[in-house]
Amino acid sequence: MILVPVTYKGGIYRHDEIVDLIEDVGGYIIQKHFLAQEVVLQALVPRDDIELIRTVGKPLMGDITPASLVGTEIAVVTMSLEIHHLPHASCDVAEYIRRNGAKTNMVGLARGFGKRIAQLNDEERDVINEHDLALFMLGNFETCIEKKLPVLRRGIDVPIVVCGGPSKEALEKIIDPPVSGYVGNVGRFMHRTKESDEIEKLEEIVGEITRVLDIRREEIAKDPLSVSPARLMDIITEQVPDIEDVTSPTPITVQIAGLRIKLPYDIYAGKIRECEIEEGITIGAVAEVRPSRMRDYILIQIRPFSDTNIVV
Amino acid sequence: MGTLDYFEVECPEPLGGEYYKRIVSTVLLDHDLVKVVAKIHVFIDPKVPIFVAAGTTRKLPSLVTVRDFSDLNIEDHKVTISIANEAYLAPLLKILWDKFGQARVDQPDRFTIVMPLERAESESLPDLVVTDPSEALYKDLIYAMQAIAPEGFKVRRQYYGNGKFYYIASENTLDEDITPLLSEKFRLMGESL
Repeated sequence: MILVPVTYKGGIYRHDEIVDLIEDVGGYIIQKHFLAQEVVLQALVPRDDIELIRTVGKPLMGDITPASLVGTEIAVVTMSLEIHHLPHASCDVAEYIRRNGAKTNMVGLARGFGKRIAQLNDEERDVINEHDLALFMLGNFETCIEKKLPVLRRGIDVPIVVCGGPSKEALEKIIDPPVSGYVGNVGRFMHRTKESDEIEKLEEIVGEITRVLDIRREEIAKDPLSVSPARLMDIITEQVPDIEDVTSPTPITVQIAGLRIKLPYDIYAGKIRECEIEEGITIGAVAEVRPSRMRDYILIQIRPFSDTNIVV
Repeated sequence: MGTLDYFEVECPEPLGGEYYKRIVSTVLLDHDLVKVVAKIHVFIDPKVPIFVAAGTTRKLPSLVTVRDFSDLNIEDHKVTISIANEAYLAPLLKILWDKFGQARVDQPDRFTIVMPLERAESESLPDLVVTDPSEALYKDLIYAMQAIAPEGFKVRRQYYGNGKFYYIASENTLDEDITPLLSEKFRLMGESL
């Protein structure tokens, strides 16, 4: 069964029928948002059942669209949290990626600005490495990007997509060794993105991120995970009821090959390791449960089949 | 940015210069400085690195005195100030409290101030300076330049006076004598420092 990432938008009235349907056909709801009278569901659903969900949702004013980034957590790395970089361009980009289903975290570097003085500390490095992908929002000058990027990418082992003022070709030329993705002509700007060419640029960023993550998904498909992250999310929600008390919008964040659980590590790590997935197979047997560098959260990294010899 | 008499961004990287031109115009519009700035020349060289913004301002509004925004009724032992523009009320109250003491400044309602002053004390009251618009303007201008300049350029020198301003910044130590560089940029605008 191939699960496809989708977004369902529809009226709040009888939306629980759609939720039940997605669960009945074997899909997973990754995020659920209520916006006034509307409900937005980010979900993974079986490809063959998309039409069925569309048909059931039609009388409820619902529409289902592909959302390539559902089930991913992306770090939007901005050089600082000053007015120079926020809300435009960093928030504009982060918000647009979120619309396509990703969970984005803004990582504002403490000393990311400047050409000579830019640096990345160990906490920032570790937090970025906990994501599926790092999107670096750089500035307008080739000289600065060439000089500072080697410092900022040191120790980052997740795929990097670079956004910068120079053209894509110029970025490819100055960045050595190459990064996973490039989007040119998106540097520092201080106005809201609303013109059609600017929206196209945001689309280009989403496209580039999707391309890079698809490569990652293909790599994972060659040596599949012992359990799907979305399934693990359901199991934890069921077996650790305290997750319901977490006020964060996404108490469990689904990643490509893991989960971030927003519960304190010291108290809950043991309990989560002991959660049973199927017939005596526990989470601890198929995944590594470790403390996150983000607050006191728990990070789960699912081990591949080649490591565990288990697929559940 | 058609309202400016002169607006240029000079940069060895043409594309970077174009982006900065857009940033300058956005920031000046956002900070409501388009009507204040007459000419502006921005020079950025990321290789040095240095950022220079030099320019001139239009004629600024004069000092705001009490008579500009209120009616005064001066009697032998009492002064009544009726405020017409509330924007200046807070700074005026602060000045009056400092000058006469809080106990002597009575405010029966939002727009009225009553003070038991002798005629000799109250005679200078209409010409009392409440705010200097150029001071606020100076702060706004420098804040805008800070937002425009690349963030890493923390070492800076700034000046505003006689209708001219400059803001020069770098992430390295600035030259002790920056006059030749600034003079050149003012000359490009047809002005002198």
